[in-house]
Amino acid sequence: MSSRIFSYATLSVVLLFLLGPFVIIVAAALSAGETLAFPPQGLSLKWVIKVFEVESFRASFALSMFLAIFGTLAALVLGVPVAYAASRYKLPFGETIRTIVSAPIIVPGIIVGLALLRYLVLPLDVSVGLALFIAHTALILPYAVRVVSASLDNLRSDIEEAAVLLGSSRIATFFRIVLPNIQNGILAAFILGFVTSFNQVPVSLFLSGPGVRTLPIDMIWYMEITYDPSVAALAALLAFLSISIVFLAERFLGFSRYV
Amino acid sequence: MSDANYLELSDLTLAYGKTVAVDRLNLTIRRGELIALLGPSGCGKTTTMRAITGLLRPAGGRITLDGRDITYLPANKRQLGLVFQSYALFPHLNVWENVAFGLKLKKLSSSEIEKKVKAGLSMVGLDQFHTRKPAELSGGQQQRVALARSLVMEPKVLLLDEPLSNLDARLRLEMRTELQRVQRESGVTMVFVTHDQDEALALADRIVVMKDGVIEQLGTPEEVYNTPSSRFVADFVGFENIFALEQGKLKTDDGLKPLSGTASPEAAGLAWRPNAVSLGAGQFKGEVRGVAFAGGTREYLIQSPLGAIKAEMDASAPIFQAGSEIAFDLPPERAAILQRM
Amino acid sequence: MFQNRMEALALALPAALFAAFVFLVPVFILLSEGFRAEGAWTLAPYVDFFDSELNRTVFWRTLKLGAIVTAVSAVIGYATAWSIVTLPPTARGRMIGLVVMPLMISPVARTYAWIVILGRTGFVNQTLVGLGIADSPIRFLFTETAVFIGLLQLFLPLMILSLISALENMPKDAVPAARVLGANWLQVFFKVILPLTKEGLVIGGTLVFTGSLTAYITPAILGGSKVLMLETLLYQRVTVANDFASASIIAMILMVMSFSANLLLKRLATARNKR
Repeated sequence: MSSRIFSYATLSVVLLFLLGPFVIIVAAALSAGETLAFPPQGLSLKWVIKVFEVESFRASFALSMFLAIFGTLAALVLGVPVAYAASRYKLPFGETIRTIVSAPIIVPGIIVGLALLRYLVLPLDVSVGLALFIAHTALILPYAVRVVSASLDNLRSDIEEAAVLLGSSRIATFFRIVLPNIQNGILAAFILGFVTSFNQVPVSLFLSGPGVRTLPIDMIWYMEITYDPSVAALAALLAFLSISIVFLAERFLGFSRYV
Repeated sequence: MSDANYLELSDLTLAYGKTVAVDRLNLTIRRGELIALLGPSGCGKTTTMRAITGLLRPAGGRITLDGRDITYLPANKRQLGLVFQSYALFPHLNVWENVAFGLKLKKLSSSEIEKKVKAGLSMVGLDQFHTRKPAELSGGQQQRVALARSLVMEPKVLLLDEPLSNLDARLRLEMRTELQRVQRESGVTMVFVTHDQDEALALADRIVVMKDGVIEQLGTPEEVYNTPSSRFVADFVGFENIFALEQGKLKTDDGLKPLSGTASPEAAGLAWRPNAVSLGAGQFKGEVRGVAFAGGTREYLIQSPLGAIKAEMDASAPIFQAGSEIAFDLPPERAAILQRM
Repeated sequence: MFQNRMEALALALPAALFAAFVFLVPVFILLSEGFRAEGAWTLAPYVDFFDSELNRTVFWRTLKLGAIVTAVSAVIGYATAWSIVTLPPTARGRMIGLVVMPLMISPVARTYAWIVILGRTGFVNQTLVGLGIADSPIRFLFTETAVFIGLLQLFLPLMILSLISALENMPKDAVPAARVLGANWLQVFFKVILPLTKEGLVIGGTLVFTGSLTAYITPAILGGSKVLMLETLLYQRVTVANDFASASIIAMILMVMSFSANLLLKRLATARNKR
């Protein structure tokens, strides 16, 4: 009996701690007042509307979307073959390749950003946008490989052999037989990569500049200038976006199986 | 080319890395025959089958099909069919699409495909299941789909990996009859791999008994069953009392005993089935160690100077008690003569 | 059919080369810079770095906060994980969903909320002053406590999830068996639960510790330049003083810490699999 009370008490406090801030941001975002405060003085949607009007937010949102979508696509294009090679074959230098491809998760993002700035952007005069794209792709690659590998390991390889014997070429077999059966895994990898890239800060820190900022960086910059609730509104909107995507993914894909 | 050597394996050597699984195998299969590769796991039968289909690259030797050297031909160009032990149906396609898969690759017209798929499903008795997915089918039904999928391609040779092992006793009998009928009606050359001697004996025109990558014996079911050529084969088909010969005589604790009758001096050993041992009188003596009632028969375990003897008598015959002395005979005319031990 | 190892290599090479050249090489060069002074290989830059009191303070502060966050999250984590695991299945799923949810939200958003809560005119201060407990607003922001709270909120879900996984893999009868033998809850925890969920604790601990060391936003927003951590120090040295040497050194320290933690994790994970 007392353990029940203990459980409920613990859970209430912890969930309050973890989710409370989120609730507060939403409340602050709906404030009718002029400054950031909680509890809000009156309710209004004006700050939420303002978010869409701030020019730099629109630009950085577009950039973040672009990086998230195409960076993840690039990571999948690179990562699916590696996952396939590691799953179906005895890959030469298998361990080494696996380590190299997983490395981006281990190295702190800020170091990657700095290194790319110093040795790719400056000396080779690579555009900051391209460097960001490369950095995000590299960052998502380990996630893509891991999730797709899990899917492939669960798929029997004898159906590929069956297809070949019925006359299909190896490549055609991959597209006709393997892909359709791992498409949920690929979708899960895409969602995971998208959310990771979108929320990414350290990597983008050094690779940003006026006009070229990812959304989180832009939010930080904006916060240093003004103290109004539009940042709260933006944060709340983004939070809703992330949560909805993951919620839908879980509902229709059973997302948690792949992660 | 010739029908007598439709599928020919010459000095075929197969290896996994450094381990040799099959060593210089030579085998000729006739067009239209039903041949079984029989042996325990690890004997190389599945490996041989995979090499024939092209899923395994040979380390040496040659494979010829209908006059054409296919040793290194890619697996998708060999026009062979394989029914996997796990059936390997495509989970994302329904029954119709599974069966039509290979036909679509051949770029046949859709009316052609429709005709062939209908005929194929009808041949295996699955007309009603077009739209079901593999997950919605029973094991037996899945196997029929796998069979139809290969048959509609009109393969030169149809290979089957342990076709009856996964089925329960009743289904096994059904499927066995089914396979025989299909083979009769389509005339396709069939090679199947099994570890079960009953399947091989019942289905095959010829049996290839394999052990450790080599052929122990090649013959008709009657030949393999009645006249095994080696200790391994004899043991495999149910001979219990297998003895090596020394100078044409049986070795016993009391010295070498000759056998009356026509045991040829080159024979390496002799074997008797339990029901070939005659109990009650004879030149050998022993002690009954165990008696077991087995429904229609009674099984005896006898300890003798020859070694352990397993004998079988009709259940209605008088019982020999455990612990009693017994005389028995090993009639030479009922012995299988083994060329190798 | 999958015997052709050249095929496999061809499939894997693009990703491996991409990761190696675009990522490993620049990072490697960056790190090697910390070992060079006046064109020679030397450890002098490291010595100089640790000579500075500020640098030493930041280093120890980062380690300290990392350790405290890990320890506190372990305690809270066990309590929470236990509470969740003892719930019926549907409630359990929902609770886990609620715990995971914060992980999907941007760290900027999650940290930002604390400004609203802990600021001079923030929620906490308003309550304290309003209720008369404090005479004037207390400064919560830009203190180690604020950073601690921010980091804890950021990484606690990771610890909870690891422990849930470990607790679910624990034999269900172990705790009842101990209770029947007379153990009180404290003993049950230290003698039964802790040993059996060791690996989950290590995994969670590594994730939390590494995360805390390499967090940027939270120390930046909640600590500012008053409470510098290694990452915020790095950013400051580069943007304010163009001091790439320090940047390289800090990067190396972060890498070594992060790498060691990961190595430990792998070792313990494979040790678990061998059973």
